[in-house]
Amino acid sequence: MNAETTVPKSSPRGAARPVPLFSPGRVATIASGTVTQLVRMKTFYFLLAFALVVVAVGNFNLPATPAKELSMIKKVSFGTMDLFAWLFAIVATALLLPRDQEDRTLYTILSKPVRRIEYLLGKLCGVLVVVGISLVIMYGICAVMIGARESLFVSAEIEAMTSSGRYSPEEIEEQVGLIRQQGLRPELGIAVGASFLKAAVVAGMTIFLSTFASSSLFTIIVSILLFLIGHAHTMASSFWLHSSDNSMIVQMLVKVVKILIPDFQLYSFSEGIVQGEAVVYALVGQMGLVTLGYLVVFLLLSLLVFVDKEF
Amino acid sequence: MKPFFQKVPRLVVVLVLLALFGLVRSPLEDGLRTRLVEANLLTPPPAQGAFEQMGQSALMGTLGGLRSLVATFLTLEAFEHFSTKSWDDLRQSYQIITALEPRDETHWVSVIWHLGINATANMEVEGRLPAFERERRFKEYAFQAIDFAERGIEQIPESSAIRIQLAEIYREKLKDDCAVARVYGDTIGLPDAPGYVRRFHGYFMARCPGREKEAYAYLMALYQEGEQQRLPTLIKEIQNLEEKLGIPGPRRIPDADPDRPQKTPRRPPNLLPGDILVPFSVQDLRKIRG
Amino acid sequence: MSDLAVEVKNLTKVFALGLKKEYVVAVDNLSFEVKAGEVYGLIGPNGSGKSTTMKVVLGLMAPSKGEARVFGLDSGDIRARNEIGFLPENPYFYKHLSGAETLRFYGKLCGMRGRELENRVTELLKLVDLEGAANRRLGGYSKGMLQRIGLAQSLVQNPRLVILDEPTAGVDPIGSRQIRDLILRLRDEGYTVFLCSHLLEQVQEVCDRVGILFQGRMRREGRLEELIAIEEQTALTLEGASPELLARVHELVAAEPGAKIVSEGHPRTSLEHLFIQIAERSREAKK
Repeated sequence: MNAETTVPKSSPRGAARPVPLFSPGRVATIASGTVTQLVRMKTFYFLLAFALVVVAVGNFNLPATPAKELSMIKKVSFGTMDLFAWLFAIVATALLLPRDQEDRTLYTILSKPVRRIEYLLGKLCGVLVVVGISLVIMYGICAVMIGARESLFVSAEIEAMTSSGRYSPEEIEEQVGLIRQQGLRPELGIAVGASFLKAAVVAGMTIFLSTFASSSLFTIIVSILLFLIGHAHTMASSFWLHSSDNSMIVQMLVKVVKILIPDFQLYSFSEGIVQGEAVVYALVGQMGLVTLGYLVVFLLLSLLVFVDKEF
Repeated sequence: MKPFFQKVPRLVVVLVLLALFGLVRSPLEDGLRTRLVEANLLTPPPAQGAFEQMGQSALMGTLGGLRSLVATFLTLEAFEHFSTKSWDDLRQSYQIITALEPRDETHWVSVIWHLGINATANMEVEGRLPAFERERRFKEYAFQAIDFAERGIEQIPESSAIRIQLAEIYREKLKDDCAVARVYGDTIGLPDAPGYVRRFHGYFMARCPGREKEAYAYLMALYQEGEQQRLPTLIKEIQNLEEKLGIPGPRRIPDADPDRPQKTPRRPPNLLPGDILVPFSVQDLRKIRG
Repeated sequence: MSDLAVEVKNLTKVFALGLKKEYVVAVDNLSFEVKAGEVYGLIGPNGSGKSTTMKVVLGLMAPSKGEARVFGLDSGDIRARNEIGFLPENPYFYKHLSGAETLRFYGKLCGMRGRELENRVTELLKLVDLEGAANRRLGGYSKGMLQRIGLAQSLVQNPRLVILDEPTAGVDPIGSRQIRDLILRLRDEGYTVFLCSHLLEQVQEVCDRVGILFQGRMRREGRLEELIAIEEQTALTLEGASPELLARVHELVAAEPGAKIVSEGHPRTSLEHLFIQIAERSREAKK
């Protein structure tokens, strides 16, 4: 320790800084700390696995016409992207809170003038930023693969049609159009957005669970379980609620589950977009609002558990 | 407020709030679901039967929101069954695939093509089975294809590709010209119906016993539309009917102009029968692309 | 403004065990005060309630009964946190951050930004002698270095009160002495220091006042000299005394009624002292 230095003071003591009711700056600090943490934990390595899947799928020799093959590549890559996004959201979120608690980093953070809601919001925002970045990168990987296959198919098709000498330029153009329809289209960006919304709700639910969970493993398992139930309960209610021969208990149970667990199946509208259905922007906007509702409620509930939690 | 919170366990408060939120969002979400399904962005839950047939992993995947992934892998599996000529397994796979993605037209077209064209063709040449059994299975596969087609049409009423594929089964395998005419007739007016379906409707009506007069009137109406409809087959069909119905000479159409360029139907490479099955023109392509 | 840095009044903290059928009283009706500008040590064995008391003062725990105030503010009030710098026992920080990044992170949490923050980070790294390791990740720090970066972190927003939980636990004697020197300098600069320790010797060296906690209750409290002085005894240490002189001292004592020699022998240096002497000599020789 430096014996010559006196204890430095940046401002005269006694004049404590005022603490605002809510500070976006502190939320941003915790969020960027979380992003750095997740990045330096090398979590982005999972993107390599994703790239491998996409490259493997892209090089399948699928039993189909170019347009159909492109459609299959698209479905598999976007399905995998969606899977990676929500799984990553669960695992990353579940690691954060219990880890801070186990490592006692939480003590030093909460002994600074940080409100607990700021801490929770910061963590959640950090995870969402990382999920968002991952999705953009995954989309990039998909775009490269689909784009490459698309141009390969197009040039092969043009060559085949030209060499046969029986087709007019107009007919060739029409055929190329058929392939392009299954290729890279701007609407696919909305499908990525849908995956992000789903991952955001999953992250919100996981952060809520981790406020009272005792370990990361517990949080991960319960989150995945709830995610699966959140997908199945729509199907369950359509089976059980519309048949008369079911007992009251079963019907009540299905209703209770439907009310307590988020409806993740709604977010499968991304699959519709990938399949080439027309995007209805008003509905996408409403799904965004529903997502916001989930996030606000989960944050408030997390705060309710976390606000006077003792460490 | 504080004493209340201290007395009531926090978990109870959390559950009550969660339930209240659920009660508020539930009707909103149900409304959203209905509109998403209407917009074809969301697929309604698969029929219960599909679950019973699904393997454990496929079931988990579907429950986990990975429908299209499961459907795609099952499509690959189905292709495997096609290469080993395991038609019943192929049908099983497509039962699930079409339950998972009922809005994907290509699944319906593929299964109708596999069962209706490939499986039946296989039965025609399968030497290991006695003739009676081959014939029985031939019919079974053809009818299974028709069953798929009917379910597909129910799911995607606007699809012309499914109907065209169905017409193909009636025409190629069951030789039922009346049914072919009926199916093509249903296809007319659909948003992505190719232009030829009107002519085909007429051609097969002409071959359907008892509908000759109707077919003659219909084909003549097409003929009157102008040069673009006066294709060699149309002219030939009309001439056949003129013979059959004994139309007097002056009312008969003139012979086709021998100098008129023959429009050869072309089939682009790399297309399976499931995609585009019959000759098409540039105008047809434009219609398909919408 | 209150001249009391910490004020703990009738503090009781009860923990429920298991399914809330059994209870443990960690702190029992505890009261004490830490005056602004002094170094106060709370000593006691493990499990005596030191850490619980500290967590209540930090606002990490709510009292079951009684209250804790920091510069007149309730310890649960977030503004109180601005006045406190805290160094936990065996501090763990984000291993993925470097020393400088750690200080920046905590500085930002306290609302510091820009040049003010950068200057502060540089000053503190110099203070704790970690300038050379500023850009190394904490994952590669030794225990002593972690303790020092922890101390720097606790000072980042220039608080009036510094709370140290077992500040020298697991640190080697030299590091321990450096921390002791720093605590004394903090006091000279006008900081209030409140520390918890079970290493009595260390507390003895730096604290103005101490409180002895045992089983959640304050057993003794007061100025250090008052607590440890043995009023009826006097120690005399001689150098270069001849055997004759010692014989005369014995005679003089024997002549005095009621007085007796309790012990006699060669005073020993402490092992800690010896170790530091050797280390300092080796360092001098290196130069």
